[in-house]
Amino acid sequence: MYTRLTAKAVPFFMVLPLILLFLSLAMFPFGYMIYISFHDYNLAEGGSPTFIGVQNYLAMFRDNVALSSIRFTLLLVCTAVPIELGLGIAIALFIRGITGEKVIRSSLLLPMMIPSVVAGIAWKMLYNYEYGPMNYFLSFFGIPRISWLGNYTFAQIGIILADVWQWTPFIFLILYAGLQSIPRELAEAAKVDGASEFEITRFIELPLLGPLIGVSLIIRIIDVLKVFDIIYMVTWGGPGSATHSLSYYIYKVGVSFGWDIGYAAAISLVLLGSIVALTTFLIRMLRLKKSLGFE
Amino acid sequence: MGAKKILAAMGVTVILLLGVSMAVAGTVKINCLSSPDNADALTDFAQEFMKKYPDIQVEVIPLSWEVLYPRILADFASHAGAYDTMTWDLMTGGACSQGLADLEKIRKQYPEVVDPDYDIEDFIPTAWHVYGMWGEKNIGLPFYGATMFFFYRKDYFQQLGLQVPTTWDEVLKAARLLTKEYNPDSPSKYGISLMFPRTHTLFYMYLNWFGPLRRSPSGIAKFGKVDLDWGDYFTQDKKPAFNSLEGARALELMEELMRYSPDPLGSDYGETLEYFGKGLVAMVPQWTACIASWKGSPALSPYSEKVGVTIMPGGHPVSGGWGLGINNDTPHKKEAYMWIQFATNKRHDKLHWLKYNVGPTRYSTCQDPEVLKEYPWLKDVYIPSLEQASHRPRIPEEPKLEDVAVGTLSEILMGRKPDKLKTLDELASEWMRILKK
Repeated sequence: MYTRLTAKAVPFFMVLPLILLFLSLAMFPFGYMIYISFHDYNLAEGGSPTFIGVQNYLAMFRDNVALSSIRFTLLLVCTAVPIELGLGIAIALFIRGITGEKVIRSSLLLPMMIPSVVAGIAWKMLYNYEYGPMNYFLSFFGIPRISWLGNYTFAQIGIILADVWQWTPFIFLILYAGLQSIPRELAEAAKVDGASEFEITRFIELPLLGPLIGVSLIIRIIDVLKVFDIIYMVTWGGPGSATHSLSYYIYKVGVSFGWDIGYAAAISLVLLGSIVALTTFLIRMLRLKKSLGFE
Repeated sequence: MGAKKILAAMGVTVILLLGVSMAVAGTVKINCLSSPDNADALTDFAQEFMKKYPDIQVEVIPLSWEVLYPRILADFASHAGAYDTMTWDLMTGGACSQGLADLEKIRKQYPEVVDPDYDIEDFIPTAWHVYGMWGEKNIGLPFYGATMFFFYRKDYFQQLGLQVPTTWDEVLKAARLLTKEYNPDSPSKYGISLMFPRTHTLFYMYLNWFGPLRRSPSGIAKFGKVDLDWGDYFTQDKKPAFNSLEGARALELMEELMRYSPDPLGSDYGETLEYFGKGLVAMVPQWTACIASWKGSPALSPYSEKVGVTIMPGGHPVSGGWGLGINNDTPHKKEAYMWIQFATNKRHDKLHWLKYNVGPTRYSTCQDPEVLKEYPWLKDVYIPSLEQASHRPRIPEEPKLEDVAVGTLSEILMGRKPDKLKTLDELASEWMRILKK
């Protein structure tokens, strides 16, 4: 009996330190975040947290900047993600079999390998009004200087461009690998039946890539919903609140200016809930579980 | 034999370790969290301090502005005492006061460490207040004095026969003449370089235009005197002052100047520094920290012949700067005080200006012959600028007020909110809500 108990207890105690570490570094902060979201707590004002119920959650829907942040985040999802998807698919299909495919493939991955903070600094220089290469090259086409960082619309376009530049390679990588894994016999059989290259792509390759396209879409949507670093480095959310994403606004509220930990926690939980709801919906709508063999 | 050798080696190791521990135990180690502006000078002074006091080790930890303030506040809130001393930005004085030690109490507790030559009276009074006091509590010693100044190209002005502007209306006229688009004979492409990005920069830049209107005789009659803790954004009875004709007029002046500036809404400190440094613009309102990089610029060489500096038009430039304070939770208050007193004494106030262009806070530096030889404007421009500066609020709610204001000011300058008075009124209401009034 003693031996049986010991035999069961020993593995438990061996993993106990890791469990405690996980609880303290992951679960406790998460639990505390939920707790504090129902309190009024501002580090700059001192004092202790005061329970205020759902006021923080309601305040979000009365906050014009929060609403503007939601709008810009959704704009990013609706523009950057489809562009990345389209470009990623097109590049993956296009470079197959061309001369220098391996070199091109490797160089296409470079933007993804650059840390977003570094990329942000580079884009900020590219967008410089007087000396930036963007305006320089546009001048060859007779286009006057654009205030990329000072104009409401162009600042948003600038962020979209930077995001597309950095993350299209990610989609390309996934879909390129997917194309490599499609059995050649299918295409050969289709050719024998008289199918053109376009028909092979349209009716065989793209449908088979469906699950991977779905997975890429979901991953990119989650990433874009959380976008922060490129905004922080390039536009600081401006001009006005043109390029405030929700993540960026959480940072402003909780760390940068507001020190309103309770409110920041509430917005964070709303964002988290939205991401979970959206991904669950997309997984169901795209029937990913079935197509990936989980059902 | 083998076991005996091992035991002997272990014994020697233990004794050595004990010896080192005892030696280290006699040394006090303190750290100093610093913004990048101040870090070089403080690191330099720390080396000197440690030579003078070998039992006290000082480590200067530079952190970016955005990270420094959150770290300080988090340390105060948690009472961790991880940082013994720190530089704090003047407008964070109210928020930081809760965690900063009362230096007067430390001086009374440890009179033996008080430097008899320190001379508190030597500090420019405005500097002593905004970098040192919160209410009746002495929360810091002034380290970096700063206001914005108006830099201009002496050679361009001479070429066009222009007088140095003293008001913003004069700047407008000069800027037009110095912009090639409006005057093909202009030696510069743009008249002025402005920075109105959606950051704290816009919050302080606005005061360069609003401050003179707020502090004009009619402004004082209307809004009352300026409280150094609530600053120029507020009236004497602590209500917003900017939602007024004066506040709207300041924005109009800024808008009018924008056409003579390269991308003001997309430019910040780095861009304006570069534009002036490359000779693209003729005028720029800026901090003294730019001087070091401009002196190395070929387009501005020889510097003393090409670059002039004067008080900000209007006479009430926005203030900046930093104080050095002690964490109330540090166990080494005595040593911490010795360090910050050392770093802010007369000698180092002069040295950090001469070597690093970190602005002085003392009259003795601004009137020193050696300093005036290279920077003659320190006496007649710097001192009045600091004495008459306009101030941002220093209250704990300042960061939140600032961000809300910056968003609104940015929208107005973009042209998205044409009714300035109405928008400023809405902003004032938001401020009152934040202040829970």
